Amino acid sequence: MGQLIVGQLLNGAIVGTLYGIIALGVTLTFGITGIVNFALGAFMMLGCYMAWYLTDGVGMPYPVAVVGAVAITSLAGLVADQTLFRFTRNNLVNGLLVSIGLIAVMEGAALLIWTSTPKNMEYVWPGVFMVAGLVVPKMKLLVVALLLAVILATYAALTRTWIGRAAYAYAQNPEAAELMGVRTKLLQSGVVVYSTGLAGLGGALYASLYSIDPTLGAVYILKAVEAAILAGIGSVMGSLFGGVLLGVTEGVGSIYLPIAFRDAYGLVFLVAILLFKPAGLFAGRK
Amino acid sequence: MRLVLAAAAFALLPLVVKSDFILTILVFSFLLGMLAVGFNLIFGYTGQLSMFHAAAFGISAYATYLSMTHWGTSFWTGMLIASALVLALSVIVGTICFRFRLKEFYFAVVTLAFSEMARLVVLNWNGVTNGTLGIILQEKPNIWLPGQGLVKLEGTLMWYYVSLVALALTVIVCLRLVNSWMGRCFAAIRLNDELGDTLGINVFRYKLAAFVVGNIIAAITGGLYAFYLGSIEPGFLSIDQSLAIVAMVLLGGRGAVAAPVIGALVLTALPHMIHLGAELRSIVYGAILILTILLMPQGIYGTLALLGRRRAV
Repeated sequence: MGQLIVGQLLNGAIVGTLYGIIALGVTLTFGITGIVNFALGAFMMLGCYMAWYLTDGVGMPYPVAVVGAVAITSLAGLVADQTLFRFTRNNLVNGLLVSIGLIAVMEGAALLIWTSTPKNMEYVWPGVFMVAGLVVPKMKLLVVALLLAVILATYAALTRTWIGRAAYAYAQNPEAAELMGVRTKLLQSGVVVYSTGLAGLGGALYASLYSIDPTLGAVYILKAVEAAILAGIGSVMGSLFGGVLLGVTEGVGSIYLPIAFRDAYGLVFLVAILLFKPAGLFAGRK
Repeated sequence: MRLVLAAAAFALLPLVVKSDFILTILVFSFLLGMLAVGFNLIFGYTGQLSMFHAAAFGISAYATYLSMTHWGTSFWTGMLIASALVLALSVIVGTICFRFRLKEFYFAVVTLAFSEMARLVVLNWNGVTNGTLGIILQEKPNIWLPGQGLVKLEGTLMWYYVSLVALALTVIVCLRLVNSWMGRCFAAIRLNDELGDTLGINVFRYKLAAFVVGNIIAAITGGLYAFYLGSIEPGFLSIDQSLAIVAMVLLGGRGAVAAPVIGALVLTALPHMIHLGAELRSIVYGAILILTILLMPQGIYGTLALLGRRRAV
């Protein structure tokens, strides 16, 4: 029993960092452009397929394929930003619906090109560690380490560099920031593209852990939005904590409660947080 | 006036159009139009983006069926029981959301959370709802016709008129509502609910009223839709279903009571008019949604009304 709990804690933490990397994109996009980009799930799916295609189809080594997948996903994000999201800044409902339209287009295209048969590339780095009787795949540890590094780097960039100061200034007062010389258009596009890049990275790494299919984004974006709200939208480290908290709750919850309701625990948690602590768990700690 | 003309045109349509295919599409459009008109009361008129609509629709479909099989009620009584259930549920959900002053995105998320919980219950309560497989409905409701007494509601033509009447009643109820003092309270809440509060409008009460009425309309639609389709499945309560309703309202237009029906008509008919695979259909659907929002933010009705006004000047 003890091992089961530790195992679920670990698994929850791994899935939770994946939620966290998408949640980071959700939080950043919301803070700077005022919309919730639900299409980040679809960008994650694109990242998965690009990593798979570049490895399996083109024959690149997996690490190069991950970089390529992130680049392609960011490029797609740039195109989406310039043709669609540029026109929905600070319009929550329109932004939501445009991103939903984009999901339908991207998922439809993915189904056309790659069909609904799941693809699998769990072979890129097989092997496990045995830690105190627990089986931990090496790849999972690597993925968690990479995602943590990216989230920490983003945090450092936002708190220690002028880009971060510009972003915070913009979040507090857009007009004043613009008058102070912040190039706001560039900042907004940059954030949208960066968040799609993050989703692409999450997807490219996900592809090496689990089998992939064109609809996997839907679950992840919902969980990411939940995680972002749990922590309080706008908090960078909060999105990581929110993601891990959600992942662990689901993992441990499914030991004691029926597994069919796994997706409901996060929802119950979310509703409780929104009702009793609407600014999120980590409110006030930007 | 235009509405009466449109209703009359649709009432006479089956005399000209005999195609079962077209009439079937119209029946679905009318039923989904009802759903969209009810939703627009919450979204377009009161300004609350509710994601609970699909849940009200789906729960009622299941509840109607269950009360018929377990308690032996007739379809119409079952529909009343289902509506009462949805009434109770939406009072609970609405009270929680509005008491805690959840707004905009947070309101959407919490209603979505309740909707998802309902879907998970339906999906996993195998003994009652038959899980993912759903339920095949063999029975058809009875209806009383003048001169013929009680007959089974069968065939496209009968359903055509039943759904048209149901849609017309919905539009009339919503028109009466938004043109009353209550409608002005809804508008005040949409434009600025804090100001409305200072002016002495009970914001909580009217938000709840709009939410409950919209959901009851969805509940009535749920029973009709399920029995016309002949099956119920958990997808009735899905997020996609909620979003499809939002898309219909946006495409048709938020500004007029009956405008969402246009959206329902287009989004139901279009995929059937052009023969496409499921994947291409999804792409076309997404593209329509994106183009509408970016190019016609007022919806089809709003854009046409604007053009008409320009020509008149």
